[in-house]
Amino acid sequence: MLSRVLAPLALFATLLAGWEVYCRLSGVSALVLPAPSGVLGALILNRAEIGAHALATAGVATLGFSLSVGFALITSVLLHFLPRAERALMPVFAASQTVPLVALAPLMILWFGFGLLPKVLLVILVTFFPMLLSLLSGYRQTPQAFRDLLASMGAGRWAVFWRATLPSARASFLAGLRISATYAIVATIFAEYAGARRGLGIYILAAKNNFRADLVLAAVVVSALLTLTLLALLRLLDRLTARGPEVRRDA
Amino acid sequence: MLEIRGLTISTGRRDLVRDLSLRLPDRGITALIGPSGCGKTSVLKWLAGILPGELRASGQVLLDGAPIRPPHAALGYQPQSDALFPWLTLAENAALGLTVAGLSRRAALARVTPLFAPFGLAGAEALFPAQVSGGMRQRAAFLRTITRDSRLVLLDEPFSALDAVTRLRMQDWLMDRLRAQPRGVLLVTHDLHEATRLADRILVMATGPGRILREIPITIPQDRRDEAAMAPLRETLKILLLEDPPR
Repeated sequence: MLSRVLAPLALFATLLAGWEVYCRLSGVSALVLPAPSGVLGALILNRAEIGAHALATAGVATLGFSLSVGFALITSVLLHFLPRAERALMPVFAASQTVPLVALAPLMILWFGFGLLPKVLLVILVTFFPMLLSLLSGYRQTPQAFRDLLASMGAGRWAVFWRATLPSARASFLAGLRISATYAIVATIFAEYAGARRGLGIYILAAKNNFRADLVLAAVVVSALLTLTLLALLRLLDRLTARGPEVRRDA
Repeated sequence: MLEIRGLTISTGRRDLVRDLSLRLPDRGITALIGPSGCGKTSVLKWLAGILPGELRASGQVLLDGAPIRPPHAALGYQPQSDALFPWLTLAENAALGLTVAGLSRRAALARVTPLFAPFGLAGAEALFPAQVSGGMRQRAAFLRTITRDSRLVLLDEPFSALDAVTRLRMQDWLMDRLRAQPRGVLLVTHDLHEATRLADRILVMATGPGRILREIPITIPQDRRDEAAMAPLRETLKILLLEDPPR
């Protein structure tokens, strides 16, 4: 357990140290590439402001992600029971993933204003599909013997789904959750970048326009921390809901 | 008494089983043997009500003379794998048939837990399938089949995944259990040793299309069925099976 944490930490520390040494020895301007110590200093100095923006981002991401999980669950159940609808809709969902965020984010702002709605919609659009895919593939992993056994006991289609299909999809669903969680924060920041009153995205934009690379990087650090926190929460959820000696996967 | 009348199972283009009829008493083991592809597993699945959708079947099942439609509570089915759900404890797995039938979780567990000791599973109620041996898993699976109060039990090669020693132990154990809780058993197997050791009656199936070739009652008592005593019967069965060329 300890060695698993130590190895990535050591690598991370080495990279940071290399960066710091490079900045000090090469004489590169802090306006172009601030040293890690400079970024940390800026972060501490502006913690109240960055914290407020981060809170806004976390709120939007959490709301969007939660709604997305709900939609993905409902849609997956519908598509599971309506294979024809699945065949018709999956290409549409897949195509929706090819629309570049850069193009979509400003359009969303244009259509829905600077409020919560366009940002939440963007998060849903980005995180919905990976979750839906992981759920549907999880359903398909249900062993035929489990379904046969339940059917031979007189269980109907819904009972088979509830007792065998849904639990069988658990690991796959959690994997999809983890992928989507990382997208959720990034998508929120993108939406804020395109136009917002608060949030890390608009903060990064403002910092960039003021040539404050240190503040841009400080905001990036905070967004990474947000994603890691979300992943840790998912891991906790995994542990709390696990039944049996299952192989637990790393977030 | 369960009776199958005129069962034909077809893929649409060819018959897997044609016009098969058989009777199963409420006591004793009937072994169904035959070469691969003779449709023995399809017969069992049809009785369990889980014939794959692409197969068509026609025929009648009668329970004490009255027609029934599978799946039916009188017929307990045990698939080839033990099919224990990894996310349920052994007790919850054993109670599965009862909860599916509408019994509350608590009531179902109260009915299965007293059976854990006689089934050689004492203390394993709260363990998960991955935590116990293959033999224990099979016992839990059989407990799940038996607790549904089914009069007839359909076993699809139940011991094929076990090692040789465990298989012998489980066969003895099955006989013991059936003495304590008598059921009619239809056992699909490709193991002639298993068939001659356990069965009161052997039905030999032939392929192309699947049908019952011969019915062989075994009158030798269980306690006198050693290897030597059963060798002539196994030879007869081998000849019957080899006579039927695969198509």
